[in-house]
Amino acid sequence: MKATIERATLLKSLSHVQSVVERRNTIPILSNVLIEAAADGTLKLMATDLDLQIVETVEAQVETAGATTVSAHTLFDIARKLPEGSQVSLSAAEGKMQVIAGRARFNLQTLPRDDFPVIAEGELPTKFELSAAILRQIIDKTRFAISTEETRYYLNGIFLHVSDEAQPVLKAAATDGHRLARVTVPRPDGAAGMPDVIVPRKCVGELRKLLDEVDGSVEVSLSATKVRFGLGSAILTSKLIDGTFPDYSRVIPIANDKLLKIDPKSFMEGVDRVATIASEKTRAVKMALERDKITLSVTSPENGTAAEEVPGDYDSDGFEIGFNARYLLDILGQIEGDTVEVHLADAAAPTLIRENDTAPALYVLMPMRV
Amino acid sequence: MSIRRLPEHLVNRIAAGEVVERPASALKELVENAIDAGATRIAIALGDGGISRIEVIDDGCGMTPADMALSLERHATSKLPDDAIELVETLGFRGEALPSIASVARLTMESRIRGADGWSRTIDNGRLEGEGPAALPPGTRIRVEGLFDKVPARRKFLRSERSEYAACLDMVKRLAMARPDIGFTVEHDGRRALAVAPGESRAERVAALTDRALAENSVGIDYQRGGVRLGGVAGLPTFNRGIADHQFLFVNGRPVRDRLLVGAVRGAYQDLLARDRHPVVALFIDLPGTEVDVNVHPAKSEVRFRDSGLVRGLIVGGLRAALDEAGHRSAQRPSVAALGNWQAERPAAPAAVGGPAFRASAPSGSNWAPARPKGDLFRDQHLSFDSAPAARAEPATAPIPEAVRHPLGVARGQVAATYIVAETEDGLILVDQHAAHERLVLERMRRALADGGVARQALLLPEVVELDEPACDRLEARIPELAEMGLELERFGPHAVLVRATPALLGADDVKALVVDLADDLAAHDAALSLRERLDHVAATMACHGSVRAGRILSVSEMNALLREMEVTPHSGQCNHGRPTWVKLASADIEKLFGRK
Repeated sequence: MKATIERATLLKSLSHVQSVVERRNTIPILSNVLIEAAADGTLKLMATDLDLQIVETVEAQVETAGATTVSAHTLFDIARKLPEGSQVSLSAAEGKMQVIAGRARFNLQTLPRDDFPVIAEGELPTKFELSAAILRQIIDKTRFAISTEETRYYLNGIFLHVSDEAQPVLKAAATDGHRLARVTVPRPDGAAGMPDVIVPRKCVGELRKLLDEVDGSVEVSLSATKVRFGLGSAILTSKLIDGTFPDYSRVIPIANDKLLKIDPKSFMEGVDRVATIASEKTRAVKMALERDKITLSVTSPENGTAAEEVPGDYDSDGFEIGFNARYLLDILGQIEGDTVEVHLADAAAPTLIRENDTAPALYVLMPMRV
Repeated sequence: MSIRRLPEHLVNRIAAGEVVERPASALKELVENAIDAGATRIAIALGDGGISRIEVIDDGCGMTPADMALSLERHATSKLPDDAIELVETLGFRGEALPSIASVARLTMESRIRGADGWSRTIDNGRLEGEGPAALPPGTRIRVEGLFDKVPARRKFLRSERSEYAACLDMVKRLAMARPDIGFTVEHDGRRALAVAPGESRAERVAALTDRALAENSVGIDYQRGGVRLGGVAGLPTFNRGIADHQFLFVNGRPVRDRLLVGAVRGAYQDLLARDRHPVVALFIDLPGTEVDVNVHPAKSEVRFRDSGLVRGLIVGGLRAALDEAGHRSAQRPSVAALGNWQAERPAAPAAVGGPAFRASAPSGSNWAPARPKGDLFRDQHLSFDSAPAARAEPATAPIPEAVRHPLGVARGQVAATYIVAETEDGLILVDQHAAHERLVLERMRRALADGGVARQALLLPEVVELDEPACDRLEARIPELAEMGLELERFGPHAVLVRATPALLGADDVKALVVDLADDLAAHDAALSLRERLDHVAATMACHGSVRAGRILSVSEMNALLREMEVTPHSGQCNHGRPTWVKLASADIEKLFGRK
């Protein structure tokens, strides 16, 4: 194999590819990136952790077609430190790959390409297109609620499913058992009859990074066990979480009768301010609701107390409720408009937060009993 | 197959199976008889771990020849005068031991009551071999020879002589600990193995039978609640052991093994000790005979309390109160080995100041190297420049304080930016600044937690944890107590519980594992230890991050402030893992180092 590629192009695609590669691997070849030069002038870079696989195709001048694998992190570090604008020549022979750029020369150990594992996609019967903007929105508004707790593995991802309501919709939900985030978007063409899937957290993270560089639409193809995202030059394939996402719709309260309308920005700033004195682990913020007056307060036995009044529209009976400040901030940070609706019932019941009843995103937060 | 009555000798052998399973259990019965006979001195002689010979000699009340004959019958005893089995005050009461032993060994009994002649009676494996007058001082002498010689099935299951001997010795120790008023001697194969004098105090006796150093490293307990009295000694947390073999429980003077003790002791020493370390305790519970049933186990090694919750609370409360009183005192004096290392004169190479108490300060050891007589001036200077920065001292301006007001003295300097050196009226104190401050922060945090209560994070999707039915029942019984600690449970059918809320401090922890651990705790120790332990672990981690690290240079006033706070904070004598936070080198010890004494 022998090919020459511009350093910037190589660096950009390697940066996508190397983040899939885990830092530590028990199978040596998983640390490597597969480089495949085709005679038609393309270079294919591929990396995997056996659950997630990325393939990126870039243009290059190919002299001899061929393929090899080298350490992804090492090659990325080399590309990063090469002089800007330089042409990088990659040539592989006899178990080594030579990287030459300007006057720098590297000889890297390789592993045979035939050992490189490839995820068998199988049949992906459901295919639809989703605009990158909508996909970005889905991820941004739900990923903070993804659980990191490995024992409830079925919560370690974003749950995607379609539903026929007044209009056919695609719903994305994530929860960690304390809060829930859900985004509803119109169902794209071709998504009808799609199986319910859970997209794992790592795939979500990589996808979100790639989405920053995509403007148009993303091709999504999936089966019950695999999903593939086609983003122009990059293709991301992931296994799905094999589990049943809990029936979250029954935890979304529908009869919360106390409505608070408040400016999310001042609300968020207020919460953030009073939470300063909360002990770092608990971060409980108490919210006292009275007619058109909301008082946020924190009492820490070590540090003292803090209180702040935030203006808001509220005309039900007054009561007090506690929340984890971090959870509140996570949710409020996703609200873009000027007002947010907080639907409350009592100090122990789940609370519904959304911008308004037409907003795609909806959040449910469990209170904290202080 | 027809049903028949078993012959007498077989019945006795079957009964012997319950009471006498190894030499130690035979010995226990004989020593208990001696205690019940009102002896003040009991001499025990063992041969081959008690397998070939057990001899118990007491100076108790003795028996008449007629009583001796009757005592070897089954269910014959002098100990239940009014048939009150619910109110047993003697150690024995079943009237089974002697005939049982006599049915599986050769038993020679000699006894004399005061003012009468002695009599001897020998029984060989259930058959009377002979009787006649005997010469002996008042009291009873019982010799058991060839235990299980005629019962090969049982003989086969005896362990080695050494381990049978160890079991016998342990048994005697337990009995001797319960009765400090009685003197005990044990001889094994002609060698004196144990001797304690009559009329010792409880603390002396416990220390004599466990570890002499316990006397200096323990606190006495005297605690009463609801007609139940708890006495005994509790080892300081820093005086811990790798296994829980030095934990003794006595109920009305009767040594018992009870899993209640294990859980209660663990609860009381929680967060004072690392999980794999065990304290030394000897607890004596005295309660009315109606509150406890001793007739549970043929060997009476178990008892049943009418109100085990009360007893548990008493043990935890009593131990806690005693340890709280010990306050900052919980520290060991430097061990003899450590002192030995100070004494050793080392050549120029860095003198490693080893030993448990000083191990951590080893890098600064070179500062303590004695001046070499032959070293030339130049080289010496060079050396002293080399080693200068490890220790730092400030001019001593404050006078030595009164020891009463400041038990930890006044700070004089810092070694290796890790240890505070303080001077007291009667010696020198070294404080591990990180361990000490960590403990102070933790205690402060615990006070705050106790005042503020535990915040609960409700779960959006209540977690169903499946357990077996008894485990669910046990959890259900503790729902209010667990809710106070922030865990809200609900019964969910016969085989599951529903978790509605978890302590916010634990974050998004593995709920299922927590509940399963709790159920196990309740089964094993009758107390929800793991929840509190987890909360404490979070608090301890936070305390660790929020405290002064080793390597930080402190000013004298900072050091003094730390010392003063340690004096007023309970449990400041050990870090969260049971290691001491400070050690003291008394003036006498320093004088010893210089050969002045």
